[in-house]
Amino acid sequence: MLRPDTPRLLLLLPTATYRTAAFVEAARRLGVVLTVASERPSTFQDANPGGLVTLDLSEPDRAAAQARAFAREHPLQGVVGVDDDTAVVAAAIATALGLRGNDVAAARAARDKHEQRTSLATAGVPVPHFRLFPVDEDPRRLAAGVPYPCVLKPLRLAASRGVIRADTQEDFVAAFERVKRILEQAGCATRSILVEDFVPGREYALEGLLLAGELRVLALFDKPDPLDGPYFEETIYVTPSRLPAEEQRAVAACAGRAAAALGLREGPVHAELRVNGSGPWLIELAARPIGGRCSGALRFGTGGSGLGTWASLEEIIVRHALGMQIPSLERESQASGVMMIPVPGAGVLREVRGVDEARRLPLVEEVVITAHPDQELVPWPEGARYPGFIFARGDTPEAVEAALRAAHRRLQFVIASD
Amino acid sequence: MAPADIRITAEPIDTGRCKFVVSEPVHGGGVRRFASPDDASGSPLAEGIFAIPGADVAEVIVSGNLVTVVKRGPAPWQTVGKAVGQVIRAALAGASPAVAPKPVAPATLGADDDTLYERVADLFESQVNPMVARHGGRVELIDVQDAVVMVRMAGGCQGCGMADVTLRQGIEAMLQQHVPDVKGVVDITDHAAGSNPYFAAAKK
Repeated sequence: MLRPDTPRLLLLLPTATYRTAAFVEAARRLGVVLTVASERPSTFQDANPGGLVTLDLSEPDRAAAQARAFAREHPLQGVVGVDDDTAVVAAAIATALGLRGNDVAAARAARDKHEQRTSLATAGVPVPHFRLFPVDEDPRRLAAGVPYPCVLKPLRLAASRGVIRADTQEDFVAAFERVKRILEQAGCATRSILVEDFVPGREYALEGLLLAGELRVLALFDKPDPLDGPYFEETIYVTPSRLPAEEQRAVAACAGRAAAALGLREGPVHAELRVNGSGPWLIELAARPIGGRCSGALRFGTGGSGLGTWASLEEIIVRHALGMQIPSLERESQASGVMMIPVPGAGVLREVRGVDEARRLPLVEEVVITAHPDQELVPWPEGARYPGFIFARGDTPEAVEAALRAAHRRLQFVIASD
Repeated sequence: MAPADIRITAEPIDTGRCKFVVSEPVHGGGVRRFASPDDASGSPLAEGIFAIPGADVAEVIVSGNLVTVVKRGPAPWQTVGKAVGQVIRAALAGASPAVAPKPVAPATLGADDDTLYERVADLFESQVNPMVARHGGRVELIDVQDAVVMVRMAGGCQGCGMADVTLRQGIEAMLQQHVPDVKGVVDITDHAAGSNPYFAAAKK
């Protein structure tokens, strides 16, 4: 029997998220009452009206009104969004219900790449020089006025979908048409393309938690594979970072300034930055945790022999949303990493071989194939789904990175390309 | 079959739970759940898994060619999994059955699980499966042991991105409401093999 004061969390879970298991498990471990909100009704919604609710996750204001109605019967103490879109919805609901969260304007600014760039540039945060072009413009005319190399980006697609580098005017025209097609395929209402200078340098990902406007760094990941285009499919994340401590502090300070410039004050942030001779450049900052299954590379506290002594990233996020005490924000002492397995080619996945062999390698902790048999694999930039994830832990980032690469080499994807 | 020819695939569910899919049947007598080393006595496979140093195993569930292990220890599955694989191979190569038949329980205990099974089966047939069928799914009741319900998902539920929501917010919630004596639900589905999930995940 639950105590009457057990807090209820509203978890915004789009039906296409990878994060269901991690967040549901986190709520269970913390013993909170969970209500899962999705954009499509669960078949169990009538049977468990307090535990499942349908919200219009594409319309934050409408979702907030729906949540307010729901909360009259089932009072809510916290709300968590798990991705870019639901971060805005969570902000709207938090505002409507007086819960811990971000202002809607701040969450919206983080969600839209052009709005984000504009806010950050105004605040003096180093961002690439950028411009916004309507998709209906003639790319041949635009190409003459753009410095090269540049990067074309949709404003709201995730996972670097539709992000293409152009080195020449010919590249630009081809990339512009391609991004336009991707926007149409994705059903994007926003009919503009962001074009920004390509920033050379190594890329890093910062995972953080905002506590009353103060950014606490939970992890800084190296991305050891160069992300120089023409497409920007991610692969390996390894933490702790091998950047010198001073540069790590500069990266954290840059991310903190970016969050403040956007007006974000509470909850998870995931920032992507490049570092070169000019220092850190803010490429993206999102008011959400790390994507895909990658949070599995993170655990917090000191561990120990008993169940529950490690805290997951999701547990920290849930605790923060509900105002519960957070025992530790310190990541474990071991190095850890994840590889988002690159799409090996276009076609229908028949089989993945070598998984057992990959799992048996030293330091490799898990190989998760998330693509299902007969799933169509779509390479970047049109695609946005990794076929799986590899996790490793070890004494050093170098050893972890080597283990991830070794495991990946063991995998063989059998694809029917007809 | 020689132990070396037995293929075992480890599929970690989280840091505490891992499923091992074995190329050979491990136990043909339904589901057996071992919640302690005492429970495991007489079943070499479960005895061996509970004895793995540093794993602090809390539970072993065996069904057909699936072995699900729940551990409390911090050792990663990369380490524990190798030991589990060795135990499974050794147990299958042994002279005695790897898993002993389910003992005939004392009348009261057996009646409890049997009664629960019937009630859960009724609930699944009358309510749970008609609901998941709307998404092309099916939930099989595999067994009830010590008031813990073991289920396997199929169809649209197998590999579905929302399977955990279906399990916890749907099935478990209904069991709490209609069969409150049930203490828990364990999903023994091989979700990686699901070829037609109702919801498939994409990054971010």
